Amino acid sequence: MKIALEALNKHFGKVKAVDSLDLEIGDGEFVALLGPSGCGKTTTLLMLAGIYKPTSGHICFDDRVVNHLLPKERNIGMVFQSYALYPHMTTFDNIAYPLKLKRVRRKEMKERVQRSADMMGIGDLLDRRPAQLSGGQQQRVALARALVKEPAILLFDEPLSNLDAKLRLRMRGEIKRLQEDLAVTAVYVTHDQVEAMTMASRIAVMNYGVLQTYGAPNQLYDHPDTLFVAGFIGAPPMNFLEMTFKERDDGFYLKSQALEIRILAEQGALAKQDSIPQRVIMGIRPENVSIVAERDGDFKAEVYLIEPLGREDLVTFRFVDEEIRALVSAPFDGRIGETICLKLDKEKAHLFNPETEVSVLRTGNGRSS
Amino acid sequence: MLRPKLKPVLAYLVLIVPSSLIILGFLWLLITSFSTRVEGLQSLGWTLNNWRFLWESPFGPQYPSIWAVTLNTLVMSLIMTLIVVVVSSLTGYALSRMKFPGRKGFLSLTLILHAFPSVTLLIPIYFVLLWIAKIPLIGRDVPLLGGFGYNTIGGVALVMVAFQLPFGIWIMKGFFDNISWDMERSALIDGASRFKVWWQIIMPNIKPGIAALSIFSFLTAWNAYLIPLTFTAGRAGKSAVLSLYLQNFISESVMTEWNAVAAVGLFQLVPVVLFFLFTQEALLNIYGGGKKGGV
Repeated sequence: MKIALEALNKHFGKVKAVDSLDLEIGDGEFVALLGPSGCGKTTTLLMLAGIYKPTSGHICFDDRVVNHLLPKERNIGMVFQSYALYPHMTTFDNIAYPLKLKRVRRKEMKERVQRSADMMGIGDLLDRRPAQLSGGQQQRVALARALVKEPAILLFDEPLSNLDAKLRLRMRGEIKRLQEDLAVTAVYVTHDQVEAMTMASRIAVMNYGVLQTYGAPNQLYDHPDTLFVAGFIGAPPMNFLEMTFKERDDGFYLKSQALEIRILAEQGALAKQDSIPQRVIMGIRPENVSIVAERDGDFKAEVYLIEPLGREDLVTFRFVDEEIRALVSAPFDGRIGETICLKLDKEKAHLFNPETEVSVLRTGNGRSS
Repeated sequence: MLRPKLKPVLAYLVLIVPSSLIILGFLWLLITSFSTRVEGLQSLGWTLNNWRFLWESPFGPQYPSIWAVTLNTLVMSLIMTLIVVVVSSLTGYALSRMKFPGRKGFLSLTLILHAFPSVTLLIPIYFVLLWIAKIPLIGRDVPLLGGFGYNTIGGVALVMVAFQLPFGIWIMKGFFDNISWDMERSALIDGASRFKVWWQIIMPNIKPGIAALSIFSFLTAWNAYLIPLTFTAGRAGKSAVLSLYLQNFISESVMTEWNAVAAVGLFQLVPVVLFFLFTQEALLNIYGGGKKGGV
């Protein structure tokens, strides 16, 4: 089922929880709503579920406005962070509850409950109560309950946040696979950008109730539209340096107290078109900062902190009063306090207007390089 | 500092001293009720005479028997418990879950009412009950209850309900507050109506709260004295309850038969003690909050 949100607003008193949100979700698509807590993503989800009524705007399922429909009339399944199982019912009764309310015949109900429990691998736990299940098992019961009514839309509200790291990784894969197998439209709310990146076909990043950007994970990672998206997506996060933009005869330069680099001509041209070309914020991901021999380097910096991540080491460098972090292949053989030469991959640099916080490279359909 | 072994000993001492005082009182009650006379805790002769009230009215045949009075007390306590639990759980749910104008005001008002000494309201309530007594059908002549007006079991229960409700509403609201919103939302999405959610999902999960409130209300009603005394006329009249029956033994004109008082007191106490033995766990819940469930 297709979902379309048109100029959707939700106000709680004076607080704009969701501010004129436009979003289209294709049939069978897996979309993640990503953002920090309080950004309006859960509010959006609850409006989709029919728990909250929008203040204004439209919610359409397959071109039909469903604003006025009650939750039970929307044919959705939802999985909550707290699992929201019914503690006084057995696993079987929990999963069967939606079917009971639909007055499905006893025999068919049994079959369907068994089928969806088996699908989640909890077929042998049907007579237990939620309190007798582990967190991961409870999560599976919640999933089975959401799936048993064969919903047209699956909604997830941070379903993996309460699981331990290992289990989270496994459930992440299972949920993704399940969604692909069933080809059901899914909306997944999370504050964890890794979850969003790995699971979703498209990510909608929200902040303060406003949609920041909407696109495929790689698109958001490689070409973030705003400073917020650039900083939010990617771990470890992107480095930001405040620079002055200069045009000289031989090309375009970015300059700060400690460093001056020449940027690509296309980037420079786009930055020049922008309204405030004098000052820009340059963003560069840690993996695009590399350690080089002295003659190839852009600038020198002092090693301040080394954080081993296993396959790579995350090294924080200091120069003048700025910091930059680099991902280098492990083991990093430098010592703290040592001065080392660094080079930035200019092709991967991002430039943002410091006033509007919008990428200056966005105009002209992204970058050409 | 205290050595670790000494600590529990000290705790027991602190607890034993005050509780032994109370236990002594009950012991005296027990011994006295089976004695002709006592000196301290020593019986000066055993007898069953004090328990005669069980089969004949000590004040003469025109007065109701202890069993009629016990039935009265039971009916009053059950009626009060039922109304308090039903009204509190509906009100508590609404106050916990719904947004409506005046919600906060209502909550603080009930809290103030709870803190209000009931004695100050006795006279106005007397007039209210007199007025209710004039209403046909419910005022008088309801079987078992007598009605809901002055000098009826129903009337006394009504007043007790009014005084108990603020407490009940707050307790139930607390239990509802402990139930996660997600569970309710999940049930709504699963296809339940608001009422079904309340009845099938929420209520089973606040059973400990309902149990605790029922017990608490029942005990309050069973032991009530001031309100039945004020709103029933004729001290051993047909609408009397146990606490009033007990009071009949103590009068200014005749020597008080303390041994009989002890026996009746014990009789009133027995159901309460039994009740406590079986329900103390649920009763403790009232201060412990709701069931945590499967999370």
